[in-house]
Parts: sequence; C-alpha cells; structure tokens
Amino acid sequence: MGIMRIGHVSIKVMDMAAALKHYENVLGMTKTMEDKHGNVYLKCWDEWDKYSLILTPSDQAGLNHVAYKVEKDSDLDDLQKKVEAYGVATTVLDEGTLPSTGRLLQFKLPSGHEMRLYAMKEYVGTEVGTNNPDPWPDNIKGAGAHWLDHCLLMCEMNPEAGVNKVAENTKFVIEALDFFLTEQVLVGPNGDMQAATWLARTTTPHDIAFVAGPRMGLHHIAFFLDSWHDILKSADVMAKTKTRIDVAPTRHGITRGETIYFFDPSGNRNETFAGLGYLAQRDRPVTTWDESHLGSGIFYHTGEMVPSFTEVYT
Amino acid sequence: MLFDTRPKVPVHVVQTGETFPCAHDESLLQAMLRVGRKGIPVGCVNGGCGVCKVHIVEGACQSLGPISRAHVSAEEEAAGFTLACRVAPVTAVRLEVTGKFEKPFCKGFASTANA
Repeated sequence: MGIMRIGHVSIKVMDMAAALKHYENVLGMTKTMEDKHGNVYLKCWDEWDKYSLILTPSDQAGLNHVAYKVEKDSDLDDLQKKVEAYGVATTVLDEGTLPSTGRLLQFKLPSGHEMRLYAMKEYVGTEVGTNNPDPWPDNIKGAGAHWLDHCLLMCEMNPEAGVNKVAENTKFVIEALDFFLTEQVLVGPNGDMQAATWLARTTTPHDIAFVAGPRMGLHHIAFFLDSWHDILKSADVMAKTKTRIDVAPTRHGITRGETIYFFDPSGNRNETFAGLGYLAQRDRPVTTWDESHLGSGIFYHTGEMVPSFTEVYT
Repeated sequence: MLFDTRPKVPVHVVQTGETFPCAHDESLLQAMLRVGRKGIPVGCVNGGCGVCKVHIVEGACQSLGPISRAHVSAEEEAAGFTLACRVAPVTAVRLEVTGKFEKPFCKGFASTANA
C-alpha cells in the first residue's frame, strides 16, 4: 500500500532541557531514548512505535526532516523507483542510521525539505496495551496528545520569478508518493496558482500540507486530540505552563479542524488539533478556497488573517 | 501597571518614537506586549523565528536565552544585533527594529500579477 502515515519529525532545538520539559509537560509525550549525539526521542501515549519526535541540539530552530512509514520493506524499493523516475535523487540510509529504525529512503522534496521513508521501527506498544485496554492511561500529562498527526511545510513562492514550490511539491507527492489532494488555496489573477495544499494518505483531511512563503521552513507540527474540550484543556495547560500561545482555540474552515497553536521554547510552532473533519477519500471532490475567502478558510470564526500566523515560522 | 512595582528602565524604539518601561528581569518584547505597544514585530517570543530582530544602538542588555543563529550571526550579535524576546535591559535602551514580517503568502499575489 506504500506510505501509511506520518512516522516522525526531527526538529532543531536551542535548549534541550527546556524543549524536553515542553514536549513532556505540555504535549504529554514520553522520552523513550537518547542517542550518543544528545538527540532525544519521544512518543505520545497512544503511539505504538518507539518514537514520533526527535529533538536535536542546535543553535537555531526548524526542521531536520520529516519521515513517513510505509507498510512493507519492499515498498521502499518501489517508491525509490518512482521517486527516481520522477527525477528526484534518493539515498538509502542503512538500518541503524536512526536507532531502533530500519533502512530509510532519503530524498528532498522540490521545496528543499528532507523527507525520509521507512518500513520498520521498534514496537513498544501504547500506554494502554492491546489486551482489554482502558480508553486512556492514568499517567497522562499536560494536553495528553494521542499522536503526531501531520506537519505543514512552508515552501518558496515568488510569482514574479515563476517560482511555486507549493505546486511542485504537490505534483511530486501525488505522482511519486501517491498522496491525494483534499483541499487547496488558489490565488492570482486567474485563480489558478496553488498557494497552499492539503494532502492525505490516511482517511484524515491531511497528512501533510504545503503553504507558500518567501522562504522554505517549518510552519508547524500537529498532534491529535479527541475533542473540542481537549483543545480547551490544552489551552489551560499552556496558561499554567506559561507557554506562548500563537492562536487561541478556534476552528479552521480548511479541514474543519478544531485547533490551538503555540510555540515550543525554541520557537517551533506546535498545534493540537481535534476532530475528524471529514472522511478523506480519493474520490471525494477537492475543496478549493479562493483568495477572497482565505481568512475564513484559515480562521473560520473571525474570517480575519492573523499576521503572525502566516508570517512567522522557523 | 499600577501593581507592578519592579524598578524599570525606558526602552525607546527609534523608528516609531515610542518609549515603554521594561523591568530588568523581563525581555524587551515582553515589556512591550505587557503595555500593549506594537513597535517591534511579535513572533514566536522564544528566540526562533527572528521577526523581533533589533539593533541596540544605546544602552546595555543581558541575555535571557539562546537566539537562532539562522537570524542573528555571532558577528551581528557582537555588533549589537539581537532578538528583543531574548534580552533584558541592564540600562535604558534605544533600539532600532531591523526584523520585519516577510512577505505574507496570502497578500500581494493579485497586485503582483497585475503589475
């Protein structure tokens, strides 16, 4: 079946102790491992593989790479052929390049972001197990995020120079990686320039999103919560922990997601996100937002753009 | 701030001409946010995004934490550039805003294309 879901993100942090405290106490993740380079690995309580987040010590913030898990090891060979045939160079990283992880197919999206695919990661189980499980464990901290849900990558767009990495990435992940488009923002005088896209491999409205900006970067990584009330609780957690909230609880028109945005201690944006939105399917018609309705697409209630939301990223 | 009795020093933003009080244990940006001013762009407030980049032209500050080298190089820092979210004033400060919001993704496409 190829790619199943987002597997992990690796991000740069400038203060490891502060970052670890944030992802443990605000998101509710658990540290599962630390490697000899000082990289720290964490998972959410409802995830069964060893980690979904890698924190790497750095002098700046931002994304190292994003990884997706494929179903079978042979999918890596099939996808390598498709990616190479598309004209994108790949490298196979040996098993053990990342601890507790099988071989990785490494390549760059047209936007320049590094993506990796893998089939194997050490199984450790969820906090509630598989035999007669309770619906949630008793040791949940903070927001109690269930799992890493998606990421949004900022991609260079410069219409005057004819550069649109959003459109290039979108075409690439559809044709080479078999994602399907769920929603898009079309701008420009003819309304035909893709300025933002949301794409899926699962049945949720997005497993990855691309948005146009002046330079490539990481807009946010998002973690799943059950309900609107969990979003309220996560905002309470942020107030208690003096976490910098970017956008208070609201709803997106795009994806229908219920959301709150905030920053980790290095300025990487996080989202806790709730609601199914809708059942994403390959034959569901693509939702399109035009430039004049973009405010409602992003923040449905106010319909107003928040400058820091679209213009600030790492 | 009626109930905030901490000693404060003035922070002056050259471009806008505004001055706001800042305590010695808070960042320049936190102080600005506390009094509802808008002279310095506000982003992540955690040293990562770089939009609150300033040049300290007079006065002295002390670091409150790391600043992203993607936005302020070591040479720039030595020359008085920093992020307003990560420094507290030691003395009265005059600063110039050098960071700015980069061109937003949602604005200007139509005007660009029509130009």
